[in-house]
Amino acid sequence: MSQIKHHAYIFDATRCIDCRACMVACSVENQIPMDKTRIWVAGLGVMGEFPNLTRASMVYHCMHCEHPDCMSACPVGAYHKREDGPVIYNPEVCIGCRYCMNACPFGVPHFDYDKGLIEGAFIDKCTFCPQRIDIGQEPACVATCPTDALVYGDRDELLKIAHERIAAHPDRYINHVYGEFENGGTSYLILSHVPFEQLGLPTLPETPVNAVSEQVMGITIPFALSWGAVLAGVTAGVGLYHKLKDNQDASAPDGTAEDEK
Amino acid sequence: MKKNLSRRDFLKLGTAASAALAAGKFIPPSVAQAAREAGQLNAAGDGYIPSMCEMCVWRCGLLAKVKDGRVVKLEGNPEHPHSRGNLCPRGQSGLMNTYDPDRVLSPLIRVGKRGEGRFRKASWEEALDLTASQMLNIKNTYGPEAMVFSSTHNLSQVQFENLLYAFGSPNYGTQRSLCFNAMITAFLLTYGIEEPGREYDNVEYILMVGRNLMEAISTSETSQLSQAIDRGAKLVYLDPRYTKTASKASEWIPIRPGTDAAFLLAMINVIVSNELADCDFVRQYVLGCDDIQEAMSSYTPQWAEQITGVPAADIERIAREYAAARHNALAHPGWRTSNFTNSFQTERAIATLNALSGNVFTPGGCLSADVTAEDTGLGRIPQPAYPRISALRLDGTPWKYPLVPLKLGVFQELRDAIITGQPYQAHGWFISRQNPILSLPDRSKTLQAFNKMDFIVTVDIIMNDTAWFSDVILPEASYLERYDPLVSLEGKAYLRQPVVEAQGEAKSALWIYKQLGERLGLGDYFQYADEEDYIRQQLVPLNTSLEETRAKGYAVLPAVEKPEGYVFNTASGKIEVYSETLANAGFSPWPTWEEPPRPSEGEFYLLTGKVAQQTQFGTQNNQLLHKYSDEPRLWMNTKTAASLNLNDGDWVEVTSKVGGVHIKLLATEAIRPDCVYLTPGYGHLSKGLTTAFGIGASDSVLHETYTDPISGGQALTQTFVKVKKA
Repeated sequence: MSQIKHHAYIFDATRCIDCRACMVACSVENQIPMDKTRIWVAGLGVMGEFPNLTRASMVYHCMHCEHPDCMSACPVGAYHKREDGPVIYNPEVCIGCRYCMNACPFGVPHFDYDKGLIEGAFIDKCTFCPQRIDIGQEPACVATCPTDALVYGDRDELLKIAHERIAAHPDRYINHVYGEFENGGTSYLILSHVPFEQLGLPTLPETPVNAVSEQVMGITIPFALSWGAVLAGVTAGVGLYHKLKDNQDASAPDGTAEDEK
Repeated sequence: MKKNLSRRDFLKLGTAASAALAAGKFIPPSVAQAAREAGQLNAAGDGYIPSMCEMCVWRCGLLAKVKDGRVVKLEGNPEHPHSRGNLCPRGQSGLMNTYDPDRVLSPLIRVGKRGEGRFRKASWEEALDLTASQMLNIKNTYGPEAMVFSSTHNLSQVQFENLLYAFGSPNYGTQRSLCFNAMITAFLLTYGIEEPGREYDNVEYILMVGRNLMEAISTSETSQLSQAIDRGAKLVYLDPRYTKTASKASEWIPIRPGTDAAFLLAMINVIVSNELADCDFVRQYVLGCDDIQEAMSSYTPQWAEQITGVPAADIERIAREYAAARHNALAHPGWRTSNFTNSFQTERAIATLNALSGNVFTPGGCLSADVTAEDTGLGRIPQPAYPRISALRLDGTPWKYPLVPLKLGVFQELRDAIITGQPYQAHGWFISRQNPILSLPDRSKTLQAFNKMDFIVTVDIIMNDTAWFSDVILPEASYLERYDPLVSLEGKAYLRQPVVEAQGEAKSALWIYKQLGERLGLGDYFQYADEEDYIRQQLVPLNTSLEETRAKGYAVLPAVEKPEGYVFNTASGKIEVYSETLANAGFSPWPTWEEPPRPSEGEFYLLTGKVAQQTQFGTQNNQLLHKYSDEPRLWMNTKTAASLNLNDGDWVEVTSKVGGVHIKLLATEAIRPDCVYLTPGYGHLSKGLTTAFGIGASDSVLHETYTDPISGGQALTQTFVKVKKA
């Protein structure tokens, strides 16, 4: 494997046999509790009427967006986008506000309602297996896939491969690599033989949803702090004004006395 | 400084000492210590150990990631030809078999009534003594043939068979007649080979008859098929169900169950009557090439259309496409072919189609004889000759089923002979790693057979249904905790080795069989000191050490020179499309059409099949697989369900001639309107399986027993059922 500058994977729905080896591999690798999962299968399964049928399923997990909405929605900076692709979540910082869940256009982050607000680590999602990719191993889901429906590599190279596959079998694929541009691009690239919405993927513009908020949310805390400072200044100013005024009133020679008269 | 032993430490020491006494030399060196010496684990005890999967019979190579004495992850071994770095969901879940909270970790002896599930813990000493004395009692009273032995394909089976042959019983039950008797018998008779290899490198046209490789995953073969499809190879897939393989096929033919042979015979008819076959090859290698046109003349596509429901034009087109692909065509032999009593003929037709395409054993051809026997090149453990067995086999092989290979047998017939007591009564049953209560057709009959037994002993790692009904349970170490004999594959001998210490009192099968053998006075048949000594003896011809083999996970076999040309191991030395052997036994010498029964009005074919997340009857209690499995439901076509006023998710009652179950309905377009389907392996009776108990229903309750007279295969789809709202 060549040097990976930007970790990414391809999911090719034409190759997926919905065997769920990826789901088990992820669960074991990341020690996910028995009642939780970081990967799920989306899509409609069997479509059509007997005997004219098609089937489509998709291995769904974090898309590792180039412009992550989760990150820009997070008020405390629990998410960050590594320069080499993965979107990382830090449970230590998370306050469990669930803004990321609302913000993610793919519905990926999920909240652990069992642990709720007591134990911390509220949100869970795919991490891109940093413990593996950082030592040169493939992510657990990719490594085990028996039909190579999942392929891991450098994003630029994978985009090339994806387009080559479409060019080699134009009859087989929808002529589009989902995630190349969607939402400003993702690190999870999807090839499909059925329309992408049948795989449960949203139709998104190329401009990231968070084009504005991403920049604004980045300065939330400084902004909040500085606005707080301004308000504090104003409060202090107002207080000072009243104090000065009170002193002035008290020293007035004929203020209340006049009224009493 | 004097070390003070606490009472607790003292007890532990006592247990270890008594276990050491009981085990003789069998205390293995610490697994972690050995792995450290092999350089697999670091000083902290973390690292990877190569071994082999046992979640199905494909046996992928694995790398077990070990941390602090526990397996934390399994990876496919890139160096093993069956895994090539991948594992299927079952392989990935394998560690939960080892860490199943329902593991049986000490020998158990029944105290309640059979099937009540009440057992007491016993020492190995007591459990083995009791088992041996019961077996000897039966042998002395009724003869060795009154002990029945049964086990399902596994690496220690060679020593299981050793125990049974040394004991002197002819009665051996395997899963084979419930699975692949039709395929193996047909290929043995036609090619003289049990199961030819499939080559996908050059394949352009694949015909699969119910071979659901995308769900019945054999990791490397599934991967090869997927790559072939990706490359543009055409896959024509016959199945009454729209399986995941059907969804990847270029053409799915939802053929009427039981009529595959008619479809294939018509293909042969088109090929031979239009002289589309590889003539040079056929003339040189095929027996019957002069008369085949005449023999197949009545099987026209028009004739087949009436039977199969597949348009004649489609059959003709597929036959021509198949023939045009020449030796790049592959008619897949299939695997579980226990569908109808005519499944043997289906397999004979498949064997014939391959012969006609000239794809057999020719360079670049898609069917190969290059299959390594499991013990190729390995040293043998010395042993005396087996005692002569004169008793008839209860399963009717060969006196009732002359063409069924002895090693395959007819398990369902064996069960029936236990009930009838004919030709003699069996009294004891030794079962290893098998669950006949769920796997044999007609469960009530199997329970009846169990009730006939004076003594039942089961070797397993969990309390499966068969263990639940046993008198003694001997706990085996899981496949991640034990050694098994080496197995040869493609020039290497692969090792299954312990990657963690066995839990509790669990022991390897090699140890258990030897201990029993010695107590039965058959110690000479078990001339190995322990598991490691067994493997060392196997390694003798290979000029390598156990240590090196442990470190690599395999040993290289000496190169074997391949003989020039190929002589088929049949009576004529040719591919016997025309078989004198069949004729002499009173069967049709040609692949032929036998009309199977059809369901009456209001009845459905009951289909069985596979899902990628479970293996047969033994994995449903694995918590990881349970987590990622679909709820087992009865599939029924949406329109059929509507016509019966049934809705998706309704509870339904399914009944056959022999039994009934309640289960939830899945209304789906993915099945023929005249069929229903049930995933096997659910509906467990054992309450000792806390994850699997209460899930789904068992199709073995419904299955009627029908045996193909030629291959001995059970006809699982020949059961017809009625369905109504529960």
